[in-house]
Amino acid sequence: MSTLASCPSCGAALSFRPGTMVAVCSYCKALAARKDRDPELIGKVADLVDTGSPLGLGASGTYTGRAFTLAGRVQLKHPLGGVWDEWYLALDDGRWGWLAEAQGRFYLTFTQAPHGALPAADSLQAGGLADLGPDGLWTVGELSEATFHSAEGEIPWAVEPGAIYRYADLSGRNGAFATLDYSEDPPLFFLGREIPLADLAIRGGTRKPTKLGAQNLNCPKCGGALALHAPDQTQRVGCPSCGSLLSVENGKFAFLKSLKQPHQEVVIPLGAEGLLGGEKVICIGQLRRSCTLEGTAYPWTEYLLLDSQHGFRWLVESDGHWSVATALPPGEVPQAHEGQKNLWAQGHNWRRFQDVAAVVEGVWGEFYWMVEQGERVQVSEFVAPPRGLTRELQRHKNGGEEVNWSLSTYLEPSEIWTAFKLAGTPPAPRGISSFQPNPHKTTLSKSTLWIVGALGLLLTLVMIESTTHRNIELFSRRLDLVEMAHLGPATAEARRGIPTRRPAPAAPPTASPSPSDSAIGEAQEPVFFSGPIEIKDGHQNLAVTLSAPVNNSWVSLEGALVSETTGVAELFLLESSYYHGVDGGESWSEGDQTQMVFLSAVPPGTYVLRLAPQWDGRMPPVGEIEVKLRQGVMRWLYPGLALLAILVVPLLMVFRMAAFESRRWQESMYGTNASSSGGDD
Amino acid sequence: MRILYLLFLGGGFSLMVANGFFGREFFGQRRRADLPPSVRQTPGAYRTFLHNNGFHGGK
Repeated sequence: MSTLASCPSCGAALSFRPGTMVAVCSYCKALAARKDRDPELIGKVADLVDTGSPLGLGASGTYTGRAFTLAGRVQLKHPLGGVWDEWYLALDDGRWGWLAEAQGRFYLTFTQAPHGALPAADSLQAGGLADLGPDGLWTVGELSEATFHSAEGEIPWAVEPGAIYRYADLSGRNGAFATLDYSEDPPLFFLGREIPLADLAIRGGTRKPTKLGAQNLNCPKCGGALALHAPDQTQRVGCPSCGSLLSVENGKFAFLKSLKQPHQEVVIPLGAEGLLGGEKVICIGQLRRSCTLEGTAYPWTEYLLLDSQHGFRWLVESDGHWSVATALPPGEVPQAHEGQKNLWAQGHNWRRFQDVAAVVEGVWGEFYWMVEQGERVQVSEFVAPPRGLTRELQRHKNGGEEVNWSLSTYLEPSEIWTAFKLAGTPPAPRGISSFQPNPHKTTLSKSTLWIVGALGLLLTLVMIESTTHRNIELFSRRLDLVEMAHLGPATAEARRGIPTRRPAPAAPPTASPSPSDSAIGEAQEPVFFSGPIEIKDGHQNLAVTLSAPVNNSWVSLEGALVSETTGVAELFLLESSYYHGVDGGESWSEGDQTQMVFLSAVPPGTYVLRLAPQWDGRMPPVGEIEVKLRQGVMRWLYPGLALLAILVVPLLMVFRMAAFESRRWQESMYGTNASSSGGDD
Repeated sequence: MRILYLLFLGGGFSLMVANGFFGREFFGQRRRADLPPSVRQTPGAYRTFLHNNGFHGGK
C-alpha cells in the first residue's frame, strides 16, 4: 500500500511504497527523502539521459511467479563515460529488485545478507577472485566508481545528487551476477544473475520499441555527415572525413582533438549492413589496434557491429583472417594465472597463445566508451581452434580496473563477403591465424566415415577369407638328398620327362624317392617328380614350403607345378639358407631354415610337381628336406596392403595437420617447447 | 586428395579381393610358363628351359 505525500518543492503528489527511501517529483525533478512526517527535499536531479532503454516507468511484469512494477530508476555515470540505468522492481511481496541495464544486457539482483565477511575493496582486483565465504567464490569483473546522474520514480535507497559510489561487479558461472556496494560500511551485497528481458514478461509503461535506426548529425570540425546508429550509447566518434575525435553528449557532438590517423584499408565501410549468423548487424565503428613484439608492430582491424537487440559484437581482421567476437561474463571463465598455459572453460581446453599489450592506433565511427588513441589494454589470448578466448585487462584513470573476456569464432573470409555483400573476392589470408581451424583436421574429420567404412569392409573380407581358406595340404614329402645325389645318368633314363598322361597312379609316398613312383633326375641333376596331384579348386592360391635343417649352409629348390593337361607350368624357386656365428664377441645369424613361396591359383586338373634341389659341392649339406604344397593359404600381405591403403592418406593428413599446428605455434609465445612441458589445468 | 584416397582404396582392395577370392598372387619368385612338348619329353631340357626363363638356382 503506497503512502501519498506532497512534493516539498512544488506540492505535487508523491507516492512512497513500503521500502521507498527517495522519490523524484515528476513535475519539478525534486528529490524528496522519506521522513516520519513530510518528505524532505534533498536536491533536484538533472534531466534523464536518453539511453534508449526499452523499459519505462510504471511497466509491470512477473519474476518467478511474482508480479512487479518498475517503480523507479537511477542513472549512473561510468568513469569511462556512458550512463547506465538501474531500474527498481517493486515486487508484490514487498521485496525490491535491482535491474541494471548496460549495453543491451540486463542483470537482476536482490539485496542479500552476506553469510560471511565481505572482502575489502582494496583487496580485490579485476580478473581476480572474490572469496565471499559461504556465498561462494566469484570473479571480479570490474572494480570502479559510479557517479549519480539522475533518477525518476521511487528509489529504495538514499541517493544523493552528485554522490560517488564505489562498487565491485562480480561474475559467476551460468550468468550469476553480484555487486558489492562499498558506499556503505559494511558494504551491501546484491546477488542475482543476468536475465533475458523476455523472462520478465514486461509490459506497459513507457517502453520503447527496439530499433536499428540512425541519427544524422554533422561533424563540428569539417561538417561531414555522421550517422549515429546507437546515439543512446555512443560516447566517442572518430570522424572518418577529417580524423577528429568527438564526444557525444545528449545527442550533440563536441570536438575533442584532431587525431593523426593511420592509413586504413577499409573492408567493411561504416554504416554497412549485413546478416551475420542470422542476425542483422550494422558496422558502426572501425578500430585499428596493434601490438609490438620484439620491435615489430603487428596491426589488426576491429569492426564494431551493432545488432538489432542493441548488443555489440566485433569483427576482427588480421592478415586476411576474420573472426567474430562476443563478450563473455568473466564468471564464465576460470581465473587465468600468470603464465598458465592451459585453461578449461566453456567445455573446452584452451591453450595460451600469447600475452600482449594492445594499443589503439586509429578510431573511425562511433564507440560506446571513451576510446582514445594510445588506449592500452593487456591482452591474454587462449585458443581452441576454431575459437579463441581473449582476456582484456583495462585500468581506469581513476584507479579502477575491469576485465573483459570475449569469445571469438574464426570465420572464413568468404562468409564476411557474403554477409556484407562485398564486391569482389576476399584476399587470401596470410600466414596462420592463432585459432584458425586446421584445414587438414577438418578434412580428416570428413574422411572418418570413409576410413571406418573401409576398415569395416577390410575386417569383413578378412573374416570371409579366414573361413574360406582351409589351408588344404595337397602334397607333403621328405626328400632324401643323399640318395638323390647318387642317382646317375643311368637311372635317369628310367624316366624321360613328364608324360602328358600318367599310365598308372602313383604309389604312396615313401621316405626316399624311387624311380617307379616319382624321383628321377634329369641328366646331371637330382630331380624329383611327384605323383599326380589333383587340384579341384581353381580360385584358391597355392603355397609351397621348403624346410631343411641347414646349418651354415644352404639348399635351394627349383620347382615347377606342371599341368598334365595343358603343360602350363608354375615355376618357382625356394631356398633354405641359415648362417650364424660369432663376430667380435657378438653372435649373429641370418636366413631361415624354412621358406615359402605362393603361387597363383591354377585351373582345376591334375598336376605334377617337379622338384630339383641344389646345393654347394658334391655332397648335400643335409640328409633330408621337406616339401609341402598347400592350397587356400591365407596370405596376410594383402590385408596388410589394403590396411596400408586405408591408412596412408589419413596418415598423410595427420602429418600435414601436425605440420600446420607446428607452423601455428611457431608464432606463439607458448610454442612447442612450452607445450611439451604439459598443462596447468 | 579424395581421388588419391579412392585410388589407394581401390588398389588395396583390388589386390586383396584378387588374392582372397580368385587366388591371384602378385609378389614372390614365381613365373608361369608354357612348357613346350619338347621340353616335357627331353631329359635335361627342364633345367635349360627354366634357366632361360629366369630361374638361376644355386649360389
